[in-house]
Amino acid sequence: MRLLHNYHYAAAMALFCIGLYTVIVRRNIIKKLIGLNIMETSVFFFYISLGYLDGGVAPIHAGSADPARMVNPIPQALILTGIVVALSVTALALSMVILLYRQYGTLDVDRLMREEEPAAEGAAGEGEGGA
Amino acid sequence: MKRVLSLFFIAALGVLLLYVVASMPPMGDPQTPTATHVIPRYLERAEEETHTENVITGVILNYRGYDTMGEVTVIFCALAAVLAVLGRERRGRIRGFVDRSPVPSSTIVRTMVRFMVPFIILFSVYTILHGEISPGGGFQGGAIIGGSMIIFTTVFGLYESSRRIPQKVRAPLEGSAVIVFFLVGALGLVGGGNFLTYAWPHAARGLQPALVTWLTVLVEVGIGLGGAMVLISILFAMIREEEEIALTA
Repeated sequence: MRLLHNYHYAAAMALFCIGLYTVIVRRNIIKKLIGLNIMETSVFFFYISLGYLDGGVAPIHAGSADPARMVNPIPQALILTGIVVALSVTALALSMVILLYRQYGTLDVDRLMREEEPAAEGAAGEGEGGA
Repeated sequence: MKRVLSLFFIAALGVLLLYVVASMPPMGDPQTPTATHVIPRYLERAEEETHTENVITGVILNYRGYDTMGEVTVIFCALAAVLAVLGRERRGRIRGFVDRSPVPSSTIVRTMVRFMVPFIILFSVYTILHGEISPGGGFQGGAIIGGSMIIFTTVFGLYESSRRIPQKVRAPLEGSAVIVFFLVGALGLVGGGNFLTYAWPHAARGLQPALVTWLTVLVEVGIGLGGAMVLISILFAMIREEEEIALTA
């Protein structure tokens, strides 16, 4: 059966669903970010498995490596780019979470959405109340 | 209610995705479309065209050089955005919540980390410089340096690690990946080729392999140094503690 043979792809899809569930259901922003990272990882995993060859070797021309048996180098190169972009997104999101926590003192999305004013000690000279 | 609804939605999505997986070509088959069209050409000609034994490095820095240049710019912009949100630390020594910890890290951990960090950095230098003939490269080596500084900072505190890599060292090197990449690209123009041609058309034919190899290594070193400094600066910006941040941000 094709689905059993492609179990790498199926695992990537399962990881994607787990990540999406975390993003939707969890109320803690940090956990939402972890879910986002799980989704990114599942996409990377899916892509790398697409380039796999049965009995393949690393695409490095060292020694007597046969080009016909090398795995696909393009997904690996693309995913390197993807990992860097995911890292950048995570870094920026986390720094905004730090700022959010300093302003409001909570990471709970529901409470953040209800909150009209920043917490009292952070409110001095700050104009973000209407957000 | 929300939980049940989203669970239902995600189960539907999962069934759809698994249905697609079941109709995909079998994994690892050499006859799949992903392995047949352009890939054999890359694998056979990459060594003579890019003069790098590692085809992945050849693809990243040579065939898809523009793509990687954009990627390097993305990570630099991420640092700029993080510093715009959190603010750059003051010059001189800074403190973070690690320094305030009432429980000092144990002697065993301190000794081990002090022993390991030089070797980790040595390994990252190997990863960067050997990137075109073995697994590795600039991004990987930079990430290893960044990881070693994360270990060092969690054990010894921000005060100690900001003394080791002060801001006046980090700040000029943060952009080195972008600068080196653009510089090497412009050198291709000077040599009579297109932007980002490592092999200059007018250079002597015997000189070309060495030229391409050394320019590739130069770009790798730039990416490694720049990536490492960007990671360390993001780390320092995130864990430092200053009273005025909350008001000026």
